[in-house]
Amino acid sequence: MGAHISIPMYERTVGQRLAFEGERCTDCGTVAFPPKGACPDCRNDEFETVDLSGTGTVYSHTVLSPGGAPPEFAGQARAEGRYVAAIVELDEGPRITAQLTDIDPETVEIGMPVSGRIRRIYEEEGVVRYGFKFGPADD
Amino acid sequence: MRDVAIVGAGQTPYGDHPEAGIKELFASAFGAMADSVDRGFDATALDAAYVGSLGVGGSQLGITGASLTSHLGLTGLPVQRVENACASGGFALLDAVHAVGSGASDAVLAAGVEKMLDLSGDRSKYWLGVSGDTEYERLAGMTFAGVYAIAARRYLHETDAEREHLSRVAVKNHENGAVNPKAQFQREVSLERATGAPEIAAPLNLYDACPTTDGAACALVVPADEAREYTDDPVYVTGFGGGSDHLALHDRETITSLSAVREAAEAAYDRADKTPEDVDFAEVHDCFTIAELLAYEDLGFADRGEGWRLIAEGRTRRDGDLPVNTSGGLKAKGHPLGATGIGQVVEVFDQLRGDAGDRQVDGDVALSHNVGGSGGAATVFIYEVDA
Ligand SMILES: [Zn+2]
Repeated sequence: MGAHISIPMYERTVGQRLAFEGERCTDCGTVAFPPKGACPDCRNDEFETVDLSGTGTVYSHTVLSPGGAPPEFAGQARAEGRYVAAIVELDEGPRITAQLTDIDPETVEIGMPVSGRIRRIYEEEGVVRYGFKFGPADD
Repeated sequence: MRDVAIVGAGQTPYGDHPEAGIKELFASAFGAMADSVDRGFDATALDAAYVGSLGVGGSQLGITGASLTSHLGLTGLPVQRVENACASGGFALLDAVHAVGSGASDAVLAAGVEKMLDLSGDRSKYWLGVSGDTEYERLAGMTFAGVYAIAARRYLHETDAEREHLSRVAVKNHENGAVNPKAQFQREVSLERATGAPEIAAPLNLYDACPTTDGAACALVVPADEAREYTDDPVYVTGFGGGSDHLALHDRETITSLSAVREAAEAAYDRADKTPEDVDFAEVHDCFTIAELLAYEDLGFADRGEGWRLIAEGRTRRDGDLPVNTSGGLKAKGHPLGATGIGQVVEVFDQLRGDAGDRQVDGDVALSHNVGGSGGAATVFIYEVDA
């Protein structure tokens, strides 16, 4: 049982997921990521695309025990054991949820600098879905 | 708006009901509600019903509401399923209050039902993960516990609370569940056991989480000025409010306060002309222990960042000055998703009418708080009885 992000739906978000494409409000300059239907600050609906750095800091995180992993992540949990999911505050302001990788779960701390990298996220409908995870910023 | 009252409320025992499907659970709760109406009532006089339900069999059915009411021979009336994840029951009650308050309806059923324990492990994990943000939170391999764990970690970072205060919420709610014959877990747990339970999503462990539950609950909502046709002891719904927010925690300004709850609470207090200090006891949505601490703050029982002190000082125990979750809460009483918001009404109804047995507390102003997902939706109600 997958997370029900259909391939057409995933395809429409490839810019966000593979290139950190966000949007900047043409009125107030607020940066939104993932892109929204209206500016989170002023509700203006005109934006320009902006390439985000993909770097930021850990805002908060959890270490998920493998037994509870959603079915589409059960394979990863079996292979790797506990894994870290975090909210990362990007340097441009917006926050985003993603896994942390290339790091010992016990060493993760709030405020730690991280950077994005493209990784295999999971597989659904026979198609591998790539997207970003974050790892230590100096990697 | 005309004033509104609840004149009947009942529920199934919460827990594992291998013998019952959703229709049988609903029938049992409806019967318990009907029995609680002191002078009885004519079920065919119901002129609307709202039924909270997240899913059936780990997916969604069409027209779930009427499948339940028609099972009891109630046809003709408009019936709607209401879905706002774990706050479906609260929103079913909000719709019922609006319907009666507007003058459009004179006798409305607010109900909730959920059958969770007949799902396979994988189906259950899938289905429990669909009430948050599916596009990013879920695609980080996040679980429902994980979302609340991220909020808990941040709360422990921003405040002087310690990990142990989370476990103390579980200990308190199990103390209450132990004396609730309708609770799923009618047993106490020690602090040692609660702090030492297996981790599920650090910093949360198994005893920070509510169980999965089968159950149903029903309440009868009528105009206040007709309430005495049903009973000498009506429970008036004097305050009510709903709120909504971004589903993903990362899209919110803060993750240690739920703005949907603050909106709902402000509306409820305003309408009832009450303040948090007026509340004698409350049923709050403790799907995870951290959620109860956030509720203390978002409902105004404590200042921001100070909610943990209420549990540290024992003030929300049954013998404290502000008992919270005398039923056992979601943690010990159980959490049949769509039924939970109405099950809270049952506890408030019994407490305010002096029918809560060994867990009876004093008071004539009560509050209930029901949260959907991780705060994407919420309702707050204030109830009063004649002093
Ligand atoms: Zn703007």
